[in-house]
Amino acid sequence: QVPVLRPMDLMVEATPRRVFANAHTYHINSISVNSDYETYMSADDLRINLWNFEITNQSFNIVDIKPANMEELTEVITAAEFHPHHCNTFVYSSSKGTIRLCDMRTSALCDRHAKFFEEPEDPSNRSFFSEIISSISDVKFSHSGRYIMTRDYLTVKVWDLNMENRPIETYQVHDYLRSKLCSLYENDCIFDKFECVWNGSDSVIMTGSYNNFFRMFDRNTKRDVTLEASRENSKPRAILKPRKVCVGGKRRKDEISVDSLDFSKKILHTAWHPSENIIAVAATNNLYIFQDKVN
Amino acid sequence: MLGRGLKRKLSDYEENMAGLSSAFDSSRSLPYPLKRQLVLNMCLTKLQTYKMLVEPNLHRSVLIANTVRQIQEEMRQESNQQPINVCPGITPSSHSYAGAESSGISLQLPSGISQQESNCCDLRSVEDPIENSLLIVSDDDMSSAISSILKDLDFVEDISPPTCLVPTGDDQPKFPENTGLKLEDDRQDLKGAECVFGSFEISNSTSYLKDLAIDDIFEDIDTSMYDSDFCCPPLMPPRPPSLATEEPLKTFPSCNSSSASNIQICRTDLSELDHIMEILVGS
Repeated sequence: QVPVLRPMDLMVEATPRRVFANAHTYHINSISVNSDYETYMSADDLRINLWNFEITNQSFNIVDIKPANMEELTEVITAAEFHPHHCNTFVYSSSKGTIRLCDMRTSALCDRHAKFFEEPEDPSNRSFFSEIISSISDVKFSHSGRYIMTRDYLTVKVWDLNMENRPIETYQVHDYLRSKLCSLYENDCIFDKFECVWNGSDSVIMTGSYNNFFRMFDRNTKRDVTLEASRENSKPRAILKPRKVCVGGKRRKDEISVDSLDFSKKILHTAWHPSENIIAVAATNNLYIFQDKVN
Repeated sequence: MLGRGLKRKLSDYEENMAGLSSAFDSSRSLPYPLKRQLVLNMCLTKLQTYKMLVEPNLHRSVLIANTVRQIQEEMRQESNQQPINVCPGITPSSHSYAGAESSGISLQLPSGISQQESNCCDLRSVEDPIENSLLIVSDDDMSSAISSILKDLDFVEDISPPTCLVPTGDDQPKFPENTGLKLEDDRQDLKGAECVFGSFEISNSTSYLKDLAIDDIFEDIDTSMYDSDFCCPPLMPPRPPSLATEEPLKTFPSCNSSSASNIQICRTDLSELDHIMEILVGS
């Protein structure tokens, strides 16, 4: 039989071009490309390694927080990122809610930080879960390189690189969960790692939440909005309707009560186009792309 | 959602826990020591569960261990303020902790206990499902439990035995109750320790084999008999020395479940090497 050409849908197959293997003992949580576009770093729970793109079988260890005795381990690395302009500078966050800024020029092993960012604990909010919810799940430099943003379980914080003792801005992502921490601990949701992103001009920040909700905060106007990424509630090309979670008392129409939130629908990953107002939101197994209303 | 005095089965445990944690969140009348005990119980249960995972999560384990330490410290401070010590007379051993059923084996507590602690203890004598599902653990139990769990998280990178391994009476029984194995001599102890210490290794056996030059694996094999002209069938395929030390692993099939990944890695490696050997030998 003569072979017949059949048109098919485009199939995309991802194949690795390079594999940089065997440098990490623990789970890798971050990778970050350097501004020199020659090197990048990868971070696991206890170590950060520096790679050259052309060299796949060797890396330099630049941070190592593993104690000699594992029984003394109380803190792990949770995220790391290079500075957008200074190729010798990077930050890494920890499970204790701290951020360290390191300069690779000071020493080969950057175990001593150049800056240490930590906010003193609020005693009125103290609970058994205080440390767990203070663990930073993501750290991102602003495009300007002047600020860093961190995400912990309930908040997003913006830090000025010149002020180490507290963030300059704190945004509540879903503070109504504060009274549900035990249940969220029991079902492991309290360990969910949400990402956070800046828009191109560093004026708006965005992060995900539960029930397919994601949140945006305008740093200038101090206004925030909750939006939903789901097919049931929006048609293509329709404008997203702001959502509201009802905390207590009477629930208005269209509001969702805390107890009916679906905690299996979590938006952990979001991205913002570096210059346009186009965002990508990952909701379970669907990817949504939203953009500004086109007039 | 509190229990109704029904007999609690193991399968109801999870339901109970969900009910308990929502009771924690919603109720303001739960006394603080009870809340604390509930959280502690949840922490210890989680740590125990994580220990049995093929790839335990170091981040979570550290966070939970810190929470346990924090509660432990708080209880210690409270007991220091009280005239009588908390729970003396309990044999400190992670053995008994690790083996305790999650349905709550209550440890025998002496009668002369401070009022605060006796609240917890007395309640247990009442048929109250909340209390019955709480595990009251002594200070020493918790310390040794945390120590053993964090030791398990270590990964031995060098071939040489880990320097932080200090076999004491407390730390020796790292294995859960169901192994029932007696580690008799030092060599077996060391092998057992390496099983435990390997529990945090990323199981990437396939890439391990890919990245090793195949020649390296067979470096130690004596292939001289295959080089000669006459055919001399070997009695047994020659095994490289590294495999010989892994033989004991095969003879302990019910080894520590937290090292199951290690054994699986060893077994995968061994079976793949066996396969290659078969091809070489042509048998």
